Amino acid sequence: MISLRKYLVALILSSCLLFTACSQQAPSRFDDAQQQSTSKGATAVVDTSQSGGTFNRYFPDGNSQYERIYSQEKKGFAEAKLKAEGKEIAILSISDTTNNPSAIAKFKESSSKISGYPAVTQGTSGTAVLVGDRYQVKIRSKDSSFSESDRQAWLSKFDLRGLSKLK
Amino acid sequence: MSDSIFELVDNLPQNNITTMMLKSLDSIVPGEWENTVGFVDTIRKVTGETDEELIQQIGDRAVWLYNDKSQGYRRAMWLYQMVDRSDKALGSAALANKVGNKIPLVGGLLSKITPNPEKAQALDLSIKLVVELVAFCQINGIPGDSIGDFVGALGDYSGESLMRMAALVCVDGLIPLGPDFILKAQSTLSGIGPKDLESNSTFQGVSESIPGGNSKGKLDFIGESFGSVKGWMADFVNSKNLSPEKVMKNLQGFLEFSDNKLDYVAAFIDVSTNYYEHTGTQTLARRLIERAFDEI
Repeated sequence: MISLRKYLVALILSSCLLFTACSQQAPSRFDDAQQQSTSKGATAVVDTSQSGGTFNRYFPDGNSQYERIYSQEKKGFAEAKLKAEGKEIAILSISDTTNNPSAIAKFKESSSKISGYPAVTQGTSGTAVLVGDRYQVKIRSKDSSFSESDRQAWLSKFDLRGLSKLK
Repeated sequence: MSDSIFELVDNLPQNNITTMMLKSLDSIVPGEWENTVGFVDTIRKVTGETDEELIQQIGDRAVWLYNDKSQGYRRAMWLYQMVDRSDKALGSAALANKVGNKIPLVGGLLSKITPNPEKAQALDLSIKLVVELVAFCQINGIPGDSIGDFVGALGDYSGESLMRMAALVCVDGLIPLGPDFILKAQSTLSGIGPKDLESNSTFQGVSESIPGGNSKGKLDFIGESFGSVKGWMADFVNSKNLSPEKVMKNLQGFLEFSDNKLDYVAAFIDVSTNYYEHTGTQTLARRLIERAFDEI
C-alpha cells in the first residue's frame, strides 16, 4: 500500500513537471548567466577598458603566405582572421581582461611562458598569453593544419612588449 | 518573444519553409550553409571544443556580451527580426498542404497571396541590403555608416552570411524583379521621395536604425549603400551565372508552381519565410561565441 502511494505521488509530481515543462521554456544551464547579466547595473564591458582600435598596431602583419584580416573591433577587444590560400586557419585576438577579470586566473596556475609572458593552452584549439597582467593575447586554430606550435610561434610575433606598456 | 540569446538559438527551427527554401539554394553557394541550431551545438560547431566546462564558460560570456546593450548585438538581432516578420499562419497552412517534399503553390494557398508592386519590391531589396550593412557594423564594431568597410567585408562573407546574401539576390532580386533587378532598384530609388519611403512597411519597421537623420537623409543613405554594393551583386550574379530561370529551378526543389507565376512565388516566399532572421541569428551567435572564447 505504501509503495502504491509512493508510486502515485511520483506519478503526480512527474505529471506536474511535464505539464510545466511543456508550458514554458525548459531550464537552461545558462539561466544563471542570463539572470546575472540582466540585473540592474550589470555590464559585460566596463568604461575604463581600452578601445579595441588601440590594439590593432600590436597584431602581427600578414605575409606572402598568410593573409591577416581584421574581423571585430569592440571596446576592450580586437580580433583578426588568419587565412592561408583563402582558407581561414586561425583567429588572433587581444582582449582587455578588465572586462572579464576571471580570465586571469588560469595564467596564475601555469608555469609555461612565451616570450617571457605567462602562457596557457585552452581546450584543444587555443593558446594564450597574459601581457602586463592585463591584456590577454590569444590564438585559436580553425584548421587542424595550424598546430599548437604554430600558435606559439605566432603569439611571439605580436608586439607583446609594446602592448605591455599600454596604459 | 525570447529575450535570451540561448533561447533564440535553441528555438531556431530545424525544418520549416525557410530552411527548405535555403536548402534549395545550396547549389548556388555549395556547402556554405549548414542549418546549425541549438546554442550548445553552435558553440561546439564554431569552436570545435567538447569540454563541458569550457563550453559553459564560453556560453556564459556570450550571454553577458549579448545582454550588454552597448555592444550592439541586441540592436543587430532586432534589425534581423524586424526586416522580415513572416506570416506564420500562412507558413503552417502551406506546410500542411505539402505533397511529398514539395509545397504545391495552387488553389486556396495561391488566393491568399498578393504579389507586391515592383516599386515596393525594389524598396524591400534595398532596405534589406541596408539592414545587412547596419547589422554587420553593430555586430563587428565598425561605425554605423561605414559603407566602405562593409563593401570590403562582403568579399570575405562565408557560411550563413553568404547564404543570406545569395538568398537576397535570388528571392528578393532575380525572382520578383527579373535579370535587370539592380537597374530596376536603382531607378526606383532615384525616382521616389521621402514620402514614398515612409509609406513602405519594411522601412517603417527598421527606420529608426537607418543612418541619415530624417527620411530624406535615410533615402540618400539607402541609395548610396545600394550604389556601393551593386558591383558586388552584379559580380555575384555573373560569377554564378544566375538568372531567374536558374533560381526558379532551384526553388522547384521544394515548391511546385507554374512558370508564369513567378511574382506569386516571390510573394509567397516573402510572407512565409524569415531567412534574414534565421540566418542572422546564426551569424550573430557565431560572432558572439568567437568573441566570448577570445575573452575567457
